[in-house]
Amino acid sequence: MGAKVKTMERRGSTFIERIYLVEIFKGMARTLSHLLRNLKDNSKLYVRHYPEVQPEIPAGWRGRHRLTTHDDGTVKCVACFMCQTNCPADCISIEAGERHDDKAEKMPVSFNINLLECIYCGYCVEACPLDAIRMDTGIFSLTDNNRQAFIIGLDELLTTPGAYPEEDQKKGGA
Amino acid sequence: MSLLDIFMIAVRVAFSAFIPLCFIAVCVWMERRGAGFFQDRAGPNRAAIYGFRAAGLVQNAADGIKLFFKEDMISDHIKHKFFFVMAPFIVFFCAIISFAVVPFADTLVLGGRGYVMQGIPMDIGILWFLAVTGFSVYGIILAGWSSANKFGLLGSLRSAAQVISYEIPMGLALVSMLIVYGTVNLSEMAQYQGQLLFGFIPMWGAFLQPVSLMIFVIAAFAECNRTPFDLAEGESELVAGFHVEYSAMKFAVFFMGEYVAMFASSAIIITLFFGGYQIPFLNTQALITFAKPVAFFMMIGLPIGMYYFAGWIRRNNVSHYPRENDPRVTEANVYIKCFWGLVVIIELLLIGILICQSGGSAAHVFVALLQICTFLVKVTMMIFVYIWVRWTLPRFRYDQLQKLGWQMLLPLALLNIFITSAVVIALS
Amino acid sequence: MADKIKLFVNGEEVEVEAGKNLIDAVGAVGIEIPHLCYHPALGADGNCRMCLVGIEDGRPPLVPACKTRAQEGMKVLLDAKHIKKIQRDVMELELINHPIDCPVCDQAGECKLQDYYMSYDQAESRMTVAPVKKNKKMDFGGGVVHDQERCIICGRCVRFLRQITKTGELGIINRTDVARVNIFPGRPINNRYGINVVDLCPVGAMTSSDFRFKQRVWFLKKALSVCHGCSKGCNLTIDHNKEKNKDDIIYRFRPRLNEQVNGYFICDEGRLSYKLENEDRLTTPKIGTVERDLTDVLASCKNEIEMSTNVTILLSPNASLEQMVAVKALAGKLNASISGFSDGYIITGDGDDYLIQDDKAANRKGLELLGIDTSQQGFEQAIAEADLLINFGNNLGLSYGADALKTLLTDTKTIACATHDSEYLAGAKLTIAVRSYSEYDGCVVNCDNILQKFNKAVTKNNELPTICEIAAEFGGPLTSPAEIFAELQQAAPALKPYQPATIPAEGLNLNDSEAANVTA
Repeated sequence: MGAKVKTMERRGSTFIERIYLVEIFKGMARTLSHLLRNLKDNSKLYVRHYPEVQPEIPAGWRGRHRLTTHDDGTVKCVACFMCQTNCPADCISIEAGERHDDKAEKMPVSFNINLLECIYCGYCVEACPLDAIRMDTGIFSLTDNNRQAFIIGLDELLTTPGAYPEEDQKKGGA
Repeated sequence: MSLLDIFMIAVRVAFSAFIPLCFIAVCVWMERRGAGFFQDRAGPNRAAIYGFRAAGLVQNAADGIKLFFKEDMISDHIKHKFFFVMAPFIVFFCAIISFAVVPFADTLVLGGRGYVMQGIPMDIGILWFLAVTGFSVYGIILAGWSSANKFGLLGSLRSAAQVISYEIPMGLALVSMLIVYGTVNLSEMAQYQGQLLFGFIPMWGAFLQPVSLMIFVIAAFAECNRTPFDLAEGESELVAGFHVEYSAMKFAVFFMGEYVAMFASSAIIITLFFGGYQIPFLNTQALITFAKPVAFFMMIGLPIGMYYFAGWIRRNNVSHYPRENDPRVTEANVYIKCFWGLVVIIELLLIGILICQSGGSAAHVFVALLQICTFLVKVTMMIFVYIWVRWTLPRFRYDQLQKLGWQMLLPLALLNIFITSAVVIALS
Repeated sequence: MADKIKLFVNGEEVEVEAGKNLIDAVGAVGIEIPHLCYHPALGADGNCRMCLVGIEDGRPPLVPACKTRAQEGMKVLLDAKHIKKIQRDVMELELINHPIDCPVCDQAGECKLQDYYMSYDQAESRMTVAPVKKNKKMDFGGGVVHDQERCIICGRCVRFLRQITKTGELGIINRTDVARVNIFPGRPINNRYGINVVDLCPVGAMTSSDFRFKQRVWFLKKALSVCHGCSKGCNLTIDHNKEKNKDDIIYRFRPRLNEQVNGYFICDEGRLSYKLENEDRLTTPKIGTVERDLTDVLASCKNEIEMSTNVTILLSPNASLEQMVAVKALAGKLNASISGFSDGYIITGDGDDYLIQDDKAANRKGLELLGIDTSQQGFEQAIAEADLLINFGNNLGLSYGADALKTLLTDTKTIACATHDSEYLAGAKLTIAVRSYSEYDGCVVNCDNILQKFNKAVTKNNELPTICEIAAEFGGPLTSPAEIFAELQQAAPALKPYQPATIPAEGLNLNDSEAANVTA
């Protein structure tokens, strides 16, 4: 798959272009046409009326993280630290412990993500061997009053549901 | 000195002091909403008082309040606190007083006495403007230097070099205007432009000296530090340039100073090149004579204009997404009622003019008001040009800026002087 | 030096030591022959078949490198196609029933099977039947947890317990895919070197219950050190890590090869002594029992030293040579008597004939080297005359009971520098918290008179002073590490040719060098 290269024609060498004024007036005519169009009917503005109108988040979009669970609601994560190892922002901190059901030997005792440090690169999702961490909650707006609130733990990660059906996820979800 | 004299002095001083201040709000609002519409977005329109957004004007008030109550801090590393604090006020003060010499209406004759409608009635006129605006760059240089900040200093040095470069073409462009008008008094210039050229073109500076107009406008942009000449604050390379260390109200004073300067230089451009307060084809004498027909046509024109304006408000002041009992529709209805109320008041006043004796004091006052309105409309249009240019053109590179100033504008201005002089001598 | 011979590996000539098998000989010059069951300390077993190589001289086409002695002119074939195929086949065999649970396996990152898979195999599994299920998480006792599924039946653990400790708790039961490593019923691993099987295990079948799930190994920073648990001075690798927003702590000790001292192994007590470096540490200086700033406490100490007429200085037998030199110089300056009395550190009968020694102090030979008296009589005589005791890290509570100590120190004030909180510190007038051996560089001399250097591993968030720094603060003449080392070179002539950074990793045998000096 070769990249499409569009060669742009170099401009600015003719006399008319070199005295600038004509080109400046052409540019100003262009911007004025936009102004007049928008003044006449402001319903055509390219803006979303956020927050009343929420954006549609596609399944591949990397939002806040969550930890997936087995069908019986127990945590899938085995605390292998792959996400923590791969995290370029060093925002994940895990503590591992023994697991006593027969799903696995190991499980996270605590799993903290500092959302202020996170850069939402999705490497944790890529690194996870068990599809235990995903960024498919569709949560893109994180606001709070104090920094501590942005360090989310195991409970919050486990209880947040995914925002997309499993089919979308298979097509290439985050 | 009669009571009327004192009253008239108060009125014109108040006018030339407060109108620029009032126009700060208008300028900022035009800039932000205009920028939005130029770029196909909405601009700030969310701030509201009881749901009334006033088309985004409330945002200005909100920002003003915010800036007023923000912590006004001076960093510890700043040694020259006096200059640091003084700098924004120099900029603001120079901008305000540069407007003082601009006539905003023709000499008003009341009770047999003439009142010059200028903040400071002065013969030196345009020279005052040049002197004062040249002084305002001291504010910027002081700000940058006393900030003890690399970005600030770079910004202010750029500004200084820029002002030196562009004062010269500006002055030379003016010289050719002075040759044409034969005076430096701005009132006389404005009166001169009330005549007609060849009997059908208003004798405006723009038609007499288009090259001079071009040079002057470019230089005025540079003088105001407006895009494409805003290298002094060039935020992409200098963070905020000379005012990088300023916060809260000191920053706001800089900010307002910039808009006042824009207003003042628009007013000068209008006065020099676009007939000042003159209404095309209707000079003061004609207006006084035909006061009643003019008032009559306005009485007819106003409601028609208002009808279409109301329709526009109704169409555009709605929420563009599904919403029950859209509050913006009620909001629009209130605005429309207010505007109709205003129209009714103006209509009543116009009826007053129709009733009064023709050619009397009332007609004189009416004409003066009409000219003030004309003046303000013209200035607003010029300010719009400023905004329009800002949101169209990218910033110059610094060498391009200097090259334009010295290698293009300066020779062009000199050439223009020679040709103008030759023509004037040949004609006289 | 052993004799050198020349042989050919993949057609290239290399010079190796004579008398070794191919794996060791060729490995010493940086050419790796993959092997799983062979371990230099345990000898060749030849059960894993991973080290099969070709020899081009009319022998059978393939020989196990672990059982083949390197010989002059040998032509060893490592990268031929059929050798590669053998390696891939062996890997495939090992991985048939391997659970591939690397994400939860503590060995991941230092696992031979993992490394060899990446270097020699990298093939998808062709198995279509379910892998054989075996027992996981079996407690073998002695701090060892076994996972039968991960086991590749190399027998290293079994051979270690038979050959080295001679206790033989483990055995391989059954054969083929039902072969298991297991203990005898009701007889867990019960010896003082048991956890070494965790290091020996090339895969994650043996895990230490102590280190289990504490850290992934690739997070750990490594530092070369020497165990201070007894006078043997076993060589260690300290694995420590500073997690985000936490303090730098040690996660485990691992033995480090030193043929002169400990070979490949250490005892379990020494291995678990890392806990002492993390726990119960004294972190703040005190006046009486009140915690104070270090500057305040030092000022009071200097005041006490000035006021006193007769000072006795007591040194810890665990201190490094550098610290002993610095403190000895301080004693000379203060005109104080110095003692290294520490009989309490010796636990008679605790040692064995392998690594563990009776004397639990790391540097008693260092005291002897510097000529510091260690006799009880000398110390008690000095303390009887003294009105101030400066104790540099010596835990007197080991040598005296609480009452005896009280009577001994009735007329004497104590300034104590200590790494750990202990009962005897309660009587001290001034207490200064100092660094422990994982937090500074230094040298110690072990029971066999081998001088060894150890490196600083841990940098705590709150860095404490060292004993050298305290000695300098109290007016000691030696203030910089360079001065101290120069003084140390005077005391130990064997050190003369070296700088702190160039002391050989295997240590300096002082007996040899003394002999050499005499003959010279």
